[in-house]
Amino acid sequence: MKLTVNGRAHDLASDPLRPLLHVLRDELDVTGPKAGCQQGSCGTCTILVDGEARRSCLTPLALVDGAEVTTIEGLGDATRLNALQAAFHQYYGAQCGFCTSGMIVAAHALLERNPAPTRHDIQTALAGHICRCTGYVKILDAIEAVARGETFTETNGDRQPGVEESVAKTGVSG
Amino acid sequence: MPRHKGRGISTIEYPTGMNQNGDPSQAWIKLKPDGRVDVFAGTVDIGQGSKTVHTQIVADAIGVPYEWVTMDNSNTDSSPVCTGSFASRGTFIGGNAVRFAAERVRERILDIAAKELEASADDLEIEDGTVSVSGAPDRNISVSDVAAAATWGHGELITGTGAALKPYAPVDPETGAVEIEPHCAISYASCIADVEVDDETGEVTVLRLIQAYDVGRAINPTLVEGQIEGGAMMGLGLGLLENSYPYYPETDHRGSEFGTYLAPGMEELPEIESLILENPAVDGPFGAKAIGEMANNAQPGALANAVFDAIGVWVTELPITPERVLRALERKNDGKHEPRHEGKKVIFDEEISIGTIGANGGAVALDVP
Repeated sequence: MKLTVNGRAHDLASDPLRPLLHVLRDELDVTGPKAGCQQGSCGTCTILVDGEARRSCLTPLALVDGAEVTTIEGLGDATRLNALQAAFHQYYGAQCGFCTSGMIVAAHALLERNPAPTRHDIQTALAGHICRCTGYVKILDAIEAVARGETFTETNGDRQPGVEESVAKTGVSG
Repeated sequence: MPRHKGRGISTIEYPTGMNQNGDPSQAWIKLKPDGRVDVFAGTVDIGQGSKTVHTQIVADAIGVPYEWVTMDNSNTDSSPVCTGSFASRGTFIGGNAVRFAAERVRERILDIAAKELEASADDLEIEDGTVSVSGAPDRNISVSDVAAAATWGHGELITGTGAALKPYAPVDPETGAVEIEPHCAISYASCIADVEVDDETGEVTVLRLIQAYDVGRAINPTLVEGQIEGGAMMGLGLGLLENSYPYYPETDHRGSEFGTYLAPGMEELPEIESLILENPAVDGPFGAKAIGEMANNAQPGALANAVFDAIGVWVTELPITPERVLRALERKNDGKHEPRHEGKKVIFDEEISIGTIGANGGAVALDVP
């Protein structure tokens, strides 16, 4: 079976019924998609198949023969964040980070088909993505910021945004 | 009218860094020859942001920019002991450990700087990476130059260690008394819940959660807000959805997989408002107390009170599922408006509870539109 993952072509002789999630993680070392519930209930394994958001845990390899697969790694990396990644960073949209790659990939698919979603549109589109840390508020804030065209100059993942601001707020001075 | 609106309030207190076993956190810090700061501590950042908060504490305690500090909490061989990220202890106990270590480093920087500036260490201050003589800011030296002088001139390594420990508080088995308090500080919080209850389906919809948390000092307010918002949704889940053992103490019919455990999703998100109150703790790092575990404690009580306000029945078991709401309504209609106590020790007296809530004529110092 042939498939393209983040622009790289692969020819695989794996079990056609093997979930794409395990092919990506264990055979191709693409570990952005997380193995959460592995029954389609949590959203952490979400990837794009020809631009459509899919749960890779419920997608047999045979179903993506000849397809173009994009994971979080294909959207951007630590040295070159895409707008959603930068927004999650800027708005504190991640805590433990386990849901984050699925959230961002699903949000990317949403913005591709609806560039100006309402907050309710985002909540509906990402309803199947469970986050247990953030309470979703800052995730929604981050996606809304991208939707309204906010730009992010920070592309370096090392920076900790908001620290100067928080120091100013609390008066804890350096 | 099947849908009824109601509002409930609950207030909690929560111990910071509670300890019944002796649980230390330790840290050590070294200054590199260019003045950059390496911190070795074992506190694990599980997403709550302790790495950021500890970095801020170290930067502020020494007097150098945040960007100069590298927090290495990745290696438990090179890091000293930290018993872990639990019991709402990360900012208070872990933070105190790095603060104490940073204060030792600051003293050592001042010792070397005093030699370089030919001044008394007591007259020196450090701000934003520069040591200067109090009242004579022109007489100064950067921390980088102090570190270089220590390394290449004085043959010294500027380092500091710190340890924080809340001692074991033994409980007298006869009286229950403790000689020392078993916790470091107490945090307080209140939650107001606005709900809508459907008396035909029993479904409870949360419209709004307003939450106020006293965290002593919010070292990083955005991270505190993240804890409050995350806790709000966990508390909403505990109040309305989440149940490992639906027929406890019977363990039958427990969920066996992820999909059978109901956790709130994005569509359940109510309007959330977060208020941070700062009532500093005397011995916390920069006055900080805790937010950690308390963040999901206030909501279930507020939700139960809101349900009572909406439809006049008490649901005294969590989660407040549609089934429990309907059964409570059924008992009310049968004239048996008594909470169920089976299988649990529940001390509940409606007259006393209402009387307590209604003291001062029900007046409260809150003005929520």
